Amino acid sequence: MWYDIFKFEIQYRIKRPDTYIFFIFIFFFSLAGVDFVFQGIDMGSVKTNAPIVIAKAMAAVTAILMMVTSLIMGVSVLRDYQYNIESLLFVNPIQKRDYLLGRFLGSFAVLLFVFTGLLLGFTLGEFMPWRYPENLMPFNFLAYLQPFIIVVLPMLFFGSALFFVSGALSRNLMVVYTQGVLLFVPFLLTKSIKNDFLQALLDPFSLTTLTDMNALFTTAERNSTLVPFTGVLLYNKLFWVFLGMLILIVGYFKFNFSTAKNKKPKEKKIKTIHDLTTAANENLKIPIVLIQYNFKSQFVQLLQLTWFYFISICKQVSFWAIIICALIIILINSINLNITYDVASYPTTYLVIKELKELSLYFFVIILIFYSGELIWKEREIKLDLIYDATSISGIISLLSKFLGLLLIYIVLILSLIIFGITFQTVNGWYHYELDVYFYGFFIEFFPFLVLYTFISFFFQALTNNKFIGFILVMVFVILNTVSEFFGFEHDLYKFGGSGLDSYSDMNGYGHFLVSYFWIKAYWIVFGILLLILASILSVRGTETSLKKRIMFGMQRLTKPMLQFVLSVLLVFTLLGSYIFYNTNILNKYESTNDKLEFRADYEKTLKRFEYLPEPKITDVKLQVELYPKTRDYTLEGYYILTNTLKEPIYKIYLQKPIASEINLEEVSFEGEALVDKQYNQYGFYIYTLKKPLQAGEAVKMKFKQRYTTKGFKENDSNNSVLQNGTYLTNKALPTLGYSKEYELGDTRIRTEFELPPAKGMAKRNDKTELTYSSTGGNADLINFEVTIGTDKNQKAISSGTLQKRWTVGNRSYFHYKTDKPIVNQYAIISADYEVSKSRWSAKNDRLATPVDLEIYYQKDHQYNLDRMTQALKLSFDYFSTNFDSYQHRDMRIIETPNYIEQAESFSGAIPFSESNEFMLNIDDQSDVDIILYRTAHELAHQWWGMQLQAANVQGKNMILETLAQYSALMVMKKKYPKEKIEQLLQKEQEVYMQAKKRYDKQEVPLELVEKQDYIFNAKGILAMSALQNYIGEEKVNLALKRFIRDWNNSNGKLKSKTPNYPTTKELLTYFIEVTPVSLRHKVCSLFENTKSNSNIIFNGK
Amino acid sequence: MNSLSISNLSKTYSNGVNALQNITLDIPVGMFGLLGPNGAGKSTLMRTIATLQEADSGSVKLGDIDALTQKHELRKVLGYLPQQFGLYPKISAEVLLHHLAVLKGITKQKERREIVNALLHKTNLYEVKNQNLSGFSGGMKQRFGIAQALLNNPKLLIVDEPTAGLDPVERNRFYNILSELSENTVVILSTHIVDDVKELCTNMAIINKGEVLLKGNPLELINQTEGKIYQKTIHKNELEEYKKEYKVIAEKLFLGKPIIHVISENNPENGFISVNAGLEDVYFSQILASSKKKL
Repeated sequence: MWYDIFKFEIQYRIKRPDTYIFFIFIFFFSLAGVDFVFQGIDMGSVKTNAPIVIAKAMAAVTAILMMVTSLIMGVSVLRDYQYNIESLLFVNPIQKRDYLLGRFLGSFAVLLFVFTGLLLGFTLGEFMPWRYPENLMPFNFLAYLQPFIIVVLPMLFFGSALFFVSGALSRNLMVVYTQGVLLFVPFLLTKSIKNDFLQALLDPFSLTTLTDMNALFTTAERNSTLVPFTGVLLYNKLFWVFLGMLILIVGYFKFNFSTAKNKKPKEKKIKTIHDLTTAANENLKIPIVLIQYNFKSQFVQLLQLTWFYFISICKQVSFWAIIICALIIILINSINLNITYDVASYPTTYLVIKELKELSLYFFVIILIFYSGELIWKEREIKLDLIYDATSISGIISLLSKFLGLLLIYIVLILSLIIFGITFQTVNGWYHYELDVYFYGFFIEFFPFLVLYTFISFFFQALTNNKFIGFILVMVFVILNTVSEFFGFEHDLYKFGGSGLDSYSDMNGYGHFLVSYFWIKAYWIVFGILLLILASILSVRGTETSLKKRIMFGMQRLTKPMLQFVLSVLLVFTLLGSYIFYNTNILNKYESTNDKLEFRADYEKTLKRFEYLPEPKITDVKLQVELYPKTRDYTLEGYYILTNTLKEPIYKIYLQKPIASEINLEEVSFEGEALVDKQYNQYGFYIYTLKKPLQAGEAVKMKFKQRYTTKGFKENDSNNSVLQNGTYLTNKALPTLGYSKEYELGDTRIRTEFELPPAKGMAKRNDKTELTYSSTGGNADLINFEVTIGTDKNQKAISSGTLQKRWTVGNRSYFHYKTDKPIVNQYAIISADYEVSKSRWSAKNDRLATPVDLEIYYQKDHQYNLDRMTQALKLSFDYFSTNFDSYQHRDMRIIETPNYIEQAESFSGAIPFSESNEFMLNIDDQSDVDIILYRTAHELAHQWWGMQLQAANVQGKNMILETLAQYSALMVMKKKYPKEKIEQLLQKEQEVYMQAKKRYDKQEVPLELVEKQDYIFNAKGILAMSALQNYIGEEKVNLALKRFIRDWNNSNGKLKSKTPNYPTTKELLTYFIEVTPVSLRHKVCSLFENTKSNSNIIFNGK
Repeated sequence: MNSLSISNLSKTYSNGVNALQNITLDIPVGMFGLLGPNGAGKSTLMRTIATLQEADSGSVKLGDIDALTQKHELRKVLGYLPQQFGLYPKISAEVLLHHLAVLKGITKQKERREIVNALLHKTNLYEVKNQNLSGFSGGMKQRFGIAQALLNNPKLLIVDEPTAGLDPVERNRFYNILSELSENTVVILSTHIVDDVKELCTNMAIINKGEVLLKGNPLELINQTEGKIYQKTIHKNELEEYKKEYKVIAEKLFLGKPIIHVISENNPENGFISVNAGLEDVYFSQILASSKKKL
């Protein structure tokens, strides 16, 4: 008997088009499955068709496709109720067991068929043109089949069991729609489980499980071996399959094999009994009503209906189920304020908003997709549509009110999130409420996104006139719109919705990004209005449902005023589009990502031959900068003095303008004149022939004027240095000499695409030219620097050097800085509206030494960590000046910069810190490492390692600059904190190192040859230095460093003054060896020269 | 007062069924009965008049309003009660009536409240106005249906098989409301129950397979058939023979035995007795004639 039902189920599904639609959808989605799941993830040397990668991608895609599982499994029993044939069916002599078993197995068989699309899609995906052969291993079908069987099938079984039972028991379509996506709730919940094993065991999608398994293997194993079906993966699968069976059994007993849905209707019938007790008032006259169709009455209709639909969603049980799930997620995951090293930030409003948006986005999307379908189908689902359609409501008003009803839902939810956020801040002791920031963060950054996709969802529902297909099309659209970016569809004019808004900054607000954002959102919202009108034309009214008839029917509704409206909307759309195009493509130069890459490739191809030609060095820089923050313009006028430090005469000067279309280099002139020999305008590269060749030791003055002009707005503007508040220019924004390696493409794969040889990486330690270049490049050794900065009156401008003078003219303020000693060619020009905190440090043991003025420039209200920073500076000055050398300047400034750049840097006498990091950290001295002291000390240490002493621009330079700064910071930490804290810090660094090491293990280089791998020069570096210090003691290390700086400092270094070369790790290591007893030398060497040594030994080493 | 004139209305479905074939009808103010068996095209005709379906050719006019092109204008004066409809289960009669009143353009709150209250009284739903619609019986639901149809003082009221599933008391109550309205409204009532038309309608038409078979005043139509109807009680197994020999227009059971009606110009003798013609006889004779013609 069950077999007949099984057969019937399969035959029924075979005829249904949705079976094939699902199959095709899954197939195409899976084709790009790996790319979709691992998009933007650095996989190191793991191949994209490694079994573990396939398994993870399959698990993730199956998780996303749980909705399809629900749509297939959930309706199999529900269908009988939906079509009201349950009473016909259940009077037949069918056994409950046969019925349920037949239905379940039948649907499950169909589900398996549909999901073979996944296996097929993944397998063929390997041969898609967008997969790079160098990321692939030879094809192996087993690598696809095995994870499909051990990972995907158990998931499908569990999902099937759950959805089948819940569909059969609830008999509610909305449950079927949403349960597939709500399965993500337990998944998200497992994320908050601290116990690794439990987390891996309970993950319904086994994503964490696979990650855990993955951690046990080396890259080679990951690439070669199939995922073993043992350990936690086996337990995970057993657990979920068992749970699935349990659900089936419970469902079996709970399922009531009768027609009565439940007992409630009986109660309700009692209420209806006293219906006919009174006679109708038959003589009552029906009053005459006035029916008007003017603007006002239609507006009233709109309001009333909007409210009606809003309330109707609020009354849905499923809606509350989603809300409760969201609430659970938000409460359990809570707002995570941790930034780095497990240290939390203060709960600033923009951070809280960001977290709340991330936590709730998923639920908003569910509500958006499902309830737009629900609203469109509302009347038809309960068969009120004929009555509804025969009323005189205009189609557009009816659709618009549904639309607005849904928007009202979003608004209420957003307001609740805001209340939640404020409560969270209050509980965390933060009383600095910024309602305006909440408003912007949600209603400007987030709401338009929801509005735009609601337009899309409404449109697809109307177009397809099939709820399921509508849902799927919306999701396909979302995916395509995201993916299209990788196929070159980037311009905001044709990428639906345009780009998002950059993060909010307390300093700069949304800055200049807001203007283009508004225009583009307006453009798309007008487009959305057109879609909505189109949707109203396509909507079914009455009983004609074929697309052709609907269009015909719909066109009739386009009355003349309506048509005029459509045309004017179209006109506005075109005008907005033209205006945006005028700004992004005519006023400014538009470049797609590919254009940019091509430009850089061409730059290299055309100009590489000018690399390493004889060039003078910049020895003096004098600038007059006029910043106009409001309009985001500046002019920069001044001169370089170029000195020939070579032995032969120099005939030509190669000048490189910073590449940016906003920047114009005007009036370049040389003392003694020069002729423009050749100009590559496209690349801003100019070759001058000096009339009088520059002889060895001679100098020439080069005057120039550079102008930065902001015109309108750009597409996807990423300029975060010229700002309304927080302009942050460095020497890289000024003309440079010679071919600039910086513009070269770094990624070998991209380089091959443009037929360039593989990237070389940093120069070797025996590179003759680069040895004479300092880490700041070959343009200069040391410079005398002087700058006068003019800015808005309310802003303060900061640079390197001592403030000579400060004055105001009209509404402009001027700041004149000059260095007392030559500095490295690395300086910044910063301007913003700052508060200043001042203090002074003087050397304790050396009363004659000049004191150093300490200043912290900070955004108003960001005063939380000023004391920590000041103290950190003082402690660091104490330690460094005692143990390395005295500080070379009279000033030290910490400057807060907008959070667009999160990294701290160091310039002569100036350390810019990002507002999102150091300034807002909330350090708990009990549990946290004092990251502020650590970072401040590190950056200050660069005044020695990088400023007093420069490394040669070759491999290992970052060990000299960064590893030594790390060591210096560690020593300062030790001065203040007990051993436990230091161990906590080292433990943290070790985790960072080990995690990165796993990812890149093939490529690990020894410290002495490190290039740009920050996990080596920072994380491993501090561990190695800590070990060194354990081996030979702090005094010995410091002695070595003291000697190193004595011999190699760039003003009067004993050895440096005899050679144009800069020191490398080779030199540094000799100083370490020198202070190491012979018995320990091999150990010390291996710290820096080998990669094999186990880092645990490094950490614990004694 | 405006009358509804339908001329040469035709509609063929995509599956080839001729749902309407050259329908021409003039329907004055008053109650108009549209009689026909299931599947005759009644609902198609009514939906077409109610602007919910397109016709292939022909026209439908209410006074100056062209129902096929000026849909919005027609909907303003239209009340429509479809054959089958559902109601939102979780809201009350009063709330849904208000909602539908807004949809019909009654935007002044005071007016809306007045008419909703009046109609609730009229349809005897006032006492249960705050109850959820899920608890409504078939009769209450149908009365709710008529209440919503009357919200906009319709000039044209279309009710499609309204009494199906109602008990006699409810049916009477329902018809009382309709007949009161028909004094100054065009009311089209479609049904396959002959008595409904006889009791209520001043005019009627019989349609089958998309064609108008007969139209006119029920009494006149009955008169035309008067004297041609004969009746006989027979045995079950004799039925086929009688069908071959006579024009059997109807058969029904009385106390378990079949009674047949035949139509004949002359008295067929053979135990047949003459009976007064009813509308039912008119109806069945027309249906019989039209299906014979097809064969």
